[in-house]
Amino acid sequence: MATLQINGQTMDIGEIDPSTPLLWVLRDELGLVGTKYGCGIAQCGACTVHMNGAPVRSCQIPVGNLTDQNITTIEGLAAADGSLTPVQEAWVEIDVPQCGYCQAGQIMSATALLENNQNPSDADIDAAMSGNICRCATYSRIRQAIKNAAAKMNGTAFYDAAQTGERA
Amino acid sequence: MKLTKNDNLSPELPNFFQELTASPKIKIPDVSRRQFFKISTIAGGGLALGLAMGTSPKAKAQAGAAETSSLSPYVQIQPNGRINIFSKNPECGQGIKTGLPLIIAEELDCAWNDVDVVQADIDGSRYGAQFAGGSLSTPMNWMAMRQAGATARAMILAAAAQQLNIPVSELTTSDTKVLHATSGREWGYGDFAELAATMPIPDAASLTLKTQDQFKLLGRRFTGVDNMDIVTGKPLFGADTRMEGLKYATYTKSPQIGGRALSFNEDHIKSMSGIVDAFIIDEFGSPKVFNPGGGDMFSGVAIVADSTWAAIKAKRELEIEWDLSDAEQASWDDLVNRAYALKDQDGEPLMTTTFGPDGPSTVAASKGDAEAVLQNAATVVSSFYEYPYVSHAQLEPETCTALYQNGNCEIWAPAQIPQSGETGSAVLLGIPAEEAADRVVLNQTRIGGGFGRKLANDYVFEVVAIARRMEGTPILLQWTREDDMSGDYFRPGGFHSYTAGLDAVGNLTAWQDHFITSTGNDQSPMTSADLNPNVFPKDVIDNVKLTQTMFHNAIPTGPMRAPASNAFAFSFQSFMHELAIASGKSHVDFLLDTLGEPRLANPENPQSMHTGRAANVISEVARISGLDQESGEPGRAKGLSFYFCHSGYVAQVADVTVSANKEVKVHKVWAVGDFGFIHNLSGAENQMEGGIIDGISQLFNSKITFVNGVIQQQNFHQYPLLRLPQAPELEVAFLEPEEFSPSGGGEPSMPPVLAAVTNAIYNATGERIRKMPLFELGYKLV
Repeated sequence: MATLQINGQTMDIGEIDPSTPLLWVLRDELGLVGTKYGCGIAQCGACTVHMNGAPVRSCQIPVGNLTDQNITTIEGLAAADGSLTPVQEAWVEIDVPQCGYCQAGQIMSATALLENNQNPSDADIDAAMSGNICRCATYSRIRQAIKNAAAKMNGTAFYDAAQTGERA
Repeated sequence: MKLTKNDNLSPELPNFFQELTASPKIKIPDVSRRQFFKISTIAGGGLALGLAMGTSPKAKAQAGAAETSSLSPYVQIQPNGRINIFSKNPECGQGIKTGLPLIIAEELDCAWNDVDVVQADIDGSRYGAQFAGGSLSTPMNWMAMRQAGATARAMILAAAAQQLNIPVSELTTSDTKVLHATSGREWGYGDFAELAATMPIPDAASLTLKTQDQFKLLGRRFTGVDNMDIVTGKPLFGADTRMEGLKYATYTKSPQIGGRALSFNEDHIKSMSGIVDAFIIDEFGSPKVFNPGGGDMFSGVAIVADSTWAAIKAKRELEIEWDLSDAEQASWDDLVNRAYALKDQDGEPLMTTTFGPDGPSTVAASKGDAEAVLQNAATVVSSFYEYPYVSHAQLEPETCTALYQNGNCEIWAPAQIPQSGETGSAVLLGIPAEEAADRVVLNQTRIGGGFGRKLANDYVFEVVAIARRMEGTPILLQWTREDDMSGDYFRPGGFHSYTAGLDAVGNLTAWQDHFITSTGNDQSPMTSADLNPNVFPKDVIDNVKLTQTMFHNAIPTGPMRAPASNAFAFSFQSFMHELAIASGKSHVDFLLDTLGEPRLANPENPQSMHTGRAANVISEVARISGLDQESGEPGRAKGLSFYFCHSGYVAQVADVTVSANKEVKVHKVWAVGDFGFIHNLSGAENQMEGGIIDGISQLFNSKITFVNGVIQQQNFHQYPLLRLPQAPELEVAFLEPEEFSPSGGGEPSMPPVLAAVTNAIYNATGERIRKMPLFELGYKLV
């Protein structure tokens, strides 16, 4: 009987084909459907989760290789009381999502970036986010949301009316 | 095909939209219709998770909460006083689930924080046409949503007057409250909910709608109502549907489009771990033809398994024998060669259908005498343009869930025309049309990107066919990305051979376009492969000759964001720039001179371009971008483009640098749009921002090719999309002339940018680009 460490909990996944990618274990066995399937070949980033804090493409990781790894999914970011992380807050406030399908993966990549670097340059953002496709092309808002999340984490958060409030 | 003229709709819309909205079954929403039943579950999210097999809408309604007071199909008041507003249309990223309820909330005069938005059931009798396409959701529903809000407000006021025994003339509303100025008292809407639900429905003519200066909500920025669920990974999308006993399926069709499955390695597939069943389904209908409500689907092999992975793993080991006798044979390179051979020839006259008092008549679309004017023109310019097939590549591959039981079918689908999904499923299942409403129920999920792909319901019909075979077992069909990219209803490729004439002072006097496209039936072009006979600049110049050649090629095609315009704008507006240069005028002056005096370009068609609105967006984008200023840097320049479609006017300027080795950096794009009044600024900006980058991505990298009927691209490594580091800075502004009601921004935002970039590349390098995508010409977007 196999178990996984997911979002701080030990989860039982029963007898499972060890070649099954983590993506499908999350979605079909554990009901954690926030992680999305987009391409199956690590091109789009929709399936991004954290393994020991680092962003990985869950469509490429056979579950048989996952003993003793700590996995975090989009469902595991917010606190138990439901309060959002600065990245999630910024995503909502700046109204990043259009269709929203890629955004779990985008948020996981952005969260991993900011955990290591709370003052990312544009080049840092480029490097951290280039593996995540947004077909609706919300890229300029993603970039701004990462900067706003960094400001929140640094205690320099601001309310920019031009982005979130009234008309100029 | 019966086509009923509908003045509310833009002329460039594909016929199926016209038919859809003209269908007697789909009426314009009528908010005066009484709700006879207490309706609907109020569970959060759009998904009816684990719903028991109660397929009739009435059964579902009766199973729902009974404490909620329903004022109309759009407005309920919850026992705690919060307001449920029902959003009728599918949400695919265009922001309509926020946009339409905002309009209702405005006229209902409630605080947005007091509103819970609920995805409406699919029910044409209550909601009229429910679809996401053509940038039509806002213009088609603008007045109806305002009336829905005003109706509910009037009923609340009437109930308050009766319950309080105060004349209604002394009562007003604000922020979900009824106010009595004389006494200074106030009450929540919830205090009158039960009585309000029994009030007579006021006549629409008796309603007083707000004036624009009275709007408290509309015109501001509002964030998406599903944002919280999206950023926390809640189940929202098609493949997130879960229920007891769910099995997972794949479906594999012929790589050569239109092949029929004869046999497969059934014993091996069924012996694989986790496989429940595997079987052939025969072709139904004419699936090469785009037809959202026909039930049409290709033949293939279904695999049903305990998990998606087991189904995918088995799919990879499928060995299928195909009957290819009716399969497609076309090759893109062959079409290209044949098209270029016709470069200097005319085609058959392009015909157009007009609606007169004696019914429709078909006449040539040309006007004036372009040939004679060209012979006397001071300057004649000819160019040949090519653009490829492209795939929608929405990030959510097609997926749908269905349960078939006791002759009834319940479906959970991310569909852009869900009503046609129901209709077509009934056709496929052999359910008589008059029983379809009770026996086929489709539940809307959020759509993980549509761009027109999910206007087709082929993936819905496939899972319905699988579910019928697996009666009693709910089936989730998951297409792989490879299924999606090779199984699209593609944006068709095509060719334009242009010749235009300028007079001695550089004014455009004649326009000739030989359009080369594809046909499946040898009579009319494939869907979205037709040239609108009234396309710009026909309405603004006197001599236009339009001809057409059709090659037989039935590779499936369908609408993609800004159908037809998404391809035509590149060639039209690049060629207009060529003409501007030949005229000696500035690009802006040439466009403004061609547009002429402010007027409706075709006075007989209220949906035709208003030349004044067109001129205004062009002038404004030139101003804010500093278009006339030289960059002073080698290889760096700006380019302009303009397009009108779907009732929207958009002008865009791109600032690019082209390096010696053809690396292109798009530094910034300025966009000015006129969609009439903008009711959610954040939504409109999002559509413009996304449209610009979508267009740049297609321009550089998007091309689908086919060889002997087999699509050559399978996944994103062969069909790259623009990524964050390549995205330019964006500056978006809107002109909002007060006399024009809102139109939609999802589609008109995209077409102009392609030519803005290629015109900028010309201005930077002198190289004219007449073919997409640019990677084939050695350019690379950086």
